[in-house]
Amino acid sequence: MIKRTHIIAALIGASSLAGLTPAIAQTSAEKLAALEARITRLEDMNAIEKLQRSYGYFVDKGQWTPLSELFTQDATLEIGGKGIFLGKARVLEYMQKAFGPDGTKKGALVNHMQFQPIPDISADGKTGWVRARAWVMSNGGWGLPLYENEYRKENGVWKISRLTGPFTMYSSWEGWGKWAMNNTWPDKFDPPPDLPPSVIYLTYPAYYIVPFHYPNPVTGKVFKPDMGEVGAYHRPPGTKEQQDSLKVGRWVDGSQPIGEPPRN
Amino acid sequence: MSARTTLKAALLLGLAAIMATPATAQGNQLSAYKQRVTLLEDQLAVENLTATFGYYFDKGLWDQAAELFTARGSLEYGQRGVYITPARIRQAMLLFGPQGLAKGSLNNHMMLQPIVVVAPDGRTATGRWQGMVMLAAPNENGKWGVGIYENQYVKEGGVWKFAKLHFYVTAMTDYDLGFAKYAIQMEGPSALFPPDQPPSEVYRSFPNAYLPAYSYRHPVTGEVLKDLPMEGDDILGRPDRGMDSSKKEVSSAAKGMTR
Repeated sequence: MIKRTHIIAALIGASSLAGLTPAIAQTSAEKLAALEARITRLEDMNAIEKLQRSYGYFVDKGQWTPLSELFTQDATLEIGGKGIFLGKARVLEYMQKAFGPDGTKKGALVNHMQFQPIPDISADGKTGWVRARAWVMSNGGWGLPLYENEYRKENGVWKISRLTGPFTMYSSWEGWGKWAMNNTWPDKFDPPPDLPPSVIYLTYPAYYIVPFHYPNPVTGKVFKPDMGEVGAYHRPPGTKEQQDSLKVGRWVDGSQPIGEPPRN
Repeated sequence: MSARTTLKAALLLGLAAIMATPATAQGNQLSAYKQRVTLLEDQLAVENLTATFGYYFDKGLWDQAAELFTARGSLEYGQRGVYITPARIRQAMLLFGPQGLAKGSLNNHMMLQPIVVVAPDGRTATGRWQGMVMLAAPNENGKWGVGIYENQYVKEGGVWKFAKLHFYVTAMTDYDLGFAKYAIQMEGPSALFPPDQPPSEVYRSFPNAYLPAYSYRHPVTGEVLKDLPMEGDDILGRPDRGMDSSKKEVSSAAKGMTR
């Protein structure tokens, strides 16, 4: 009996010892891996912030070729209400056709200053998002686009995979108290888009809230702007104008056309 | 040496070898992580240093702002020329007003949109910043301005300092008239406190176009961004660089910006 107990005790002891050694090693390796994941996340958030800022610095100086090289091959671009442009080549065409060939040009001030970024990285570290704003100071006037952009890490390098820049307000030098553009539209912009706008809305004095890619940082609750009331606020809720505006840019079933990039 | 001792020694050595390999690997990992964290901390320190300069400069705190530079640090603002050493930098800033600014003055120089790149050895850094300017002086109308900072930084004794602060004024205008109607030109070198060196790059601000070279490489292609296309300046005799002069049509977007 006694002998048997000893053997069992010895076996348990041995097995726990055997179990312990790799467990400690694994834990410290795991700790290191967790530490690296946290460092990588900080580096990734930093990288996509800088990527977005360098987009702005290229816009400021009309450097469209290096600007387009910030995008993935299958990237989508949607700015204001002009519709969706599919692929890196069309990003370049959008810029060069609408704003002229590459280079800083006399008489052109087109500063798109990139402020207030909120970056996030997916759990697998392959996708990133930034909500940010541009403050446009140009020879034409003032502008306030927002951004809800998506980024992809390809072979260790972050690129813009989706640029979504709905406008908040655009005005001339007369000031937004006197005049504001209600949005931009595909039929008033050359080149034409590949797909219609993902959402139809009016800018200031109406307003549209582009959905947040992240939840409320304190409560963790997801805030969903009422997409049914997009562009509805140029008249008080309940008025006929507000009700009519709910039908703008919708299919007969009430849904809105949303573009997806080609997958071939 | 007995056979038994040899065996023991061999066992110990073997064990040491087994133990050493993962420990060293983990040590290497840790020092690599330490370096990555240090680079992030350095970037933040440089960003805070620059933002601090902005907060001092806004309020005419020239003494405090001059202390942010190395002993051979330089300041260059627009076409005013280059001032070297903190004492001369302080003098250069007196051209913007007295210490603490005069009553009725607004001297906001916002330091925004940083792209700070710390060298892998962690000793130097570069930074491009967006400079938004709002100015006012007694009995004058307000002014809007904008420009680009291209700065250089050095870590001395664990502390980041300005080695070079260069503000390229891009455009300046009257608050009411705006860039659609008016452009204020840059000031030249002062006769009162002449600079130590003439402007390092001679250019004219808006409506002329000038491209301060990007200090960082393209974030995706890694290409150097020093010689990108820029329209020339006929008065300065600077030719076009890399411009496609065949396309001069006015863009639909530019037309859309004005009513």
